[in-house]
Amino acid sequence: MTSVSPRTAGGSRRERREWLLFAALIGPNLALFAIFTYWPLLYNLYLSFVRWNFLRPRKPFVWLDNYIEVFTDTQFWIIALNTLTFTVCSVGLTLLIGLALALLINQPLRYRNAARAVLFSPVIMSGAVVAVVWSYIFDPRYGLLDQILGFVGASSPDWLGDPRWAMPAVILVYVWKNVGYAVVIYLAGLQGIPRELYDAARVDGAGAVDRFWHVTLPGLSPVAFFLSVTSLLACFQSFDIVKVLTDGGPAIATTTLIYHLYDLGFVSYDAGKAGVMAMVLFGVMLALTVIQLRYVEERVAYA
Amino acid sequence: MENTTKLTRRQMLRGMIASGGVAILAACGAAPAAPAAPAATDAPAAAAPTSAPAVAAAPSATTITYWGSFSGGLGEAEAAMVKAFNESQSEVQVEYQFQGSYEETAQKFTAALQANTIPDVVLLSDVWWFSFYTAGAIAPLDDLASQVKLDFSDYEPVLLDEGVRQGKHYWVPFARSTPLFYYNKQIWQEAGLPDRSPDTWAEMADWATKLVKKDGDTISQAAFAHPNGASYIAWLFQGVVWQFNGQYSNPDFTMTMTDPNTLRAAQFYQDTVNKDKWAILSQDVNKDFTGGITASTMASTGGLAGIQKAAAFPVGVGFLPKADSFGCPTGGSGLAIPTSTPDDKKLAAMKYIAFATSTESAGVWARSTGYMPVRLSTKETPEMVTFFDENPNFKTVVDQLPLTRAQDAARVFVRNGDQIIGKGLERIIVNGESPDAVFADVNAELTKGAAPILEDLKAIEAGACAGLRRSGLRRRRRWRCR
Repeated sequence: MTSVSPRTAGGSRRERREWLLFAALIGPNLALFAIFTYWPLLYNLYLSFVRWNFLRPRKPFVWLDNYIEVFTDTQFWIIALNTLTFTVCSVGLTLLIGLALALLINQPLRYRNAARAVLFSPVIMSGAVVAVVWSYIFDPRYGLLDQILGFVGASSPDWLGDPRWAMPAVILVYVWKNVGYAVVIYLAGLQGIPRELYDAARVDGAGAVDRFWHVTLPGLSPVAFFLSVTSLLACFQSFDIVKVLTDGGPAIATTTLIYHLYDLGFVSYDAGKAGVMAMVLFGVMLALTVIQLRYVEERVAYA
Repeated sequence: MENTTKLTRRQMLRGMIASGGVAILAACGAAPAAPAAPAATDAPAAAAPTSAPAVAAAPSATTITYWGSFSGGLGEAEAAMVKAFNESQSEVQVEYQFQGSYEETAQKFTAALQANTIPDVVLLSDVWWFSFYTAGAIAPLDDLASQVKLDFSDYEPVLLDEGVRQGKHYWVPFARSTPLFYYNKQIWQEAGLPDRSPDTWAEMADWATKLVKKDGDTISQAAFAHPNGASYIAWLFQGVVWQFNGQYSNPDFTMTMTDPNTLRAAQFYQDTVNKDKWAILSQDVNKDFTGGITASTMASTGGLAGIQKAAAFPVGVGFLPKADSFGCPTGGSGLAIPTSTPDDKKLAAMKYIAFATSTESAGVWARSTGYMPVRLSTKETPEMVTFFDENPNFKTVVDQLPLTRAQDAARVFVRNGDQIIGKGLERIIVNGESPDAVFADVNAELTKGAAPILEDLKAIEAGACAGLRRSGLRRRRRWRCR
């Protein structure tokens, strides 16, 4: 149906009807995308070239001034590094811990279903709620972590007030909240690996470790790939936990690119620079996606 | 199974990536896109009941919306105020809508102006009203005031004058406050200190050694606590800067963050936390003070009633300590009426403002919160006199007022100036960065932020209508040139 081109559509009545049907089906979706996605995208691009504070009636065009200001700000590069640390650690830990937990609860254990439910429950909780609860856990004077550390004779660092500990704290909360999702996806992957492969490996004399490396891991690679892409994109856009837990602080220790975008737009009211940040994020995510689709997917063994 | 999942997985993946990639832009672009949205209709509420003068029967009340920032105990006091007004007469009904913090209220008001769905009265903080003034978004109130027979001469001049531009009143003081030194009398007594606030910061540093308790390297009980940037450290630091004979800026918007005295004050702040280690940077000073985590702090007078209620110990208050001299800024928030509110609602809004800041109401509000009585005559009312006798802490609040002054332009007139300075102070205190370097950055950022304000001011105040026309303001109906 989609192969009908407008030029030939004028010919036969049937083709025209198909063309109209196509338009009727695609139209509503396209309109929604145009209004809520493409138009804001273009408008954002425009905003990145003007100087505007959301209030003044004039929006003077300043060409690349906003871009220059954003990229020459030393804070920007600290924030970019923060984002890299946050993303790499969060995604890496989520994938690794998720795999370990998935392998564990894939065993025929008692209360397996209860364990799965417990692991998955943080995923469906609101990020703001999770962050509020953790802010109490992290409190250096009466928090749960302080008490746990007290048992082993250590005193709690000021998790959210100390620039050295704030980022690890945010990563910890992020991984805790999202690891359940990885576990569920991994579990589905594990159950999709044909039993015959394991049987065959056993016949060939492969031990548990060999079976893991040569059957389980390759079998999981499409799932791991899917998880790495979705986690990376989600992590890049993760805002709620940082906002509630630290407000990007102390100073800018936990400010990520997305938080910086919010900060520029809705705290500083600098629509131009916020527009630049949005374009930067768009570019980074587009590049990451293309790289992952082009290079990583080739190596994935679809079972 | 395996064959079909292979395809759907890829498709799903692509779909999710595509939607993920654009979601972020949709999120960011949506708000700025709003200006395109308002339709040709001018009045936001077409159904507004214009109280028809011809019909004498059935007085139809004008309902107006009031956006404010008070929650908790302050919110209850605010709701009581609105209720008292609604019950005192039948012409105007006020609907109070809580909008979040001062920052969030300003944020929503900004968005509301774009979408043209504005409130009729809005509470704006010391750092926000000016931005809306330069944007022409809030109305001069003098004509309205004379219509409701409101006499501005009875207001505390130091508070009232801040909201005056070119002889016109734009911002009526309502929940106005100053910083106050709070101390925990119990800890003070245990440390063997006299029952008063320290006269100078040197004295405080001396006392601090007796107040601070350490558990290894971490402070378990601090002598003093600073708020963070989001909780307006730049407001409290304003007073300290003056105490060191520095300032944020000159009245002509020249920034003076790198002035040696300003830097000295910053160095002092850094030392309290990093070198001498008797102060902490707190996420919530009120909570840490009432929880006994810090023995003293500086906080708004507006929190006095709440702090006294929450604290399990006797609360002492005093004037701010001195360094080279005394310095204390005013702060808090006031009421304004949007320019584009229809005239009948403007009048109704003004009636509410007159009520909320009347001699009696100002007294009720001050007694239940700790904010300043904004009327001169309030202090003489019998209720207030007895109240001061019974609550000497509240007397201190009022006694300090004549010693205060309006803040430097850098914090209150430069849009986001408060947060720029606050973030800088966080870098100095938390990261231990050198005040020279950080305040040089802050100075540059403030200078850049001041440029458009000066431009707008010139357009609005110097050339008046001509300036407005030149800057293109008249193209939008709501900035009608009067």
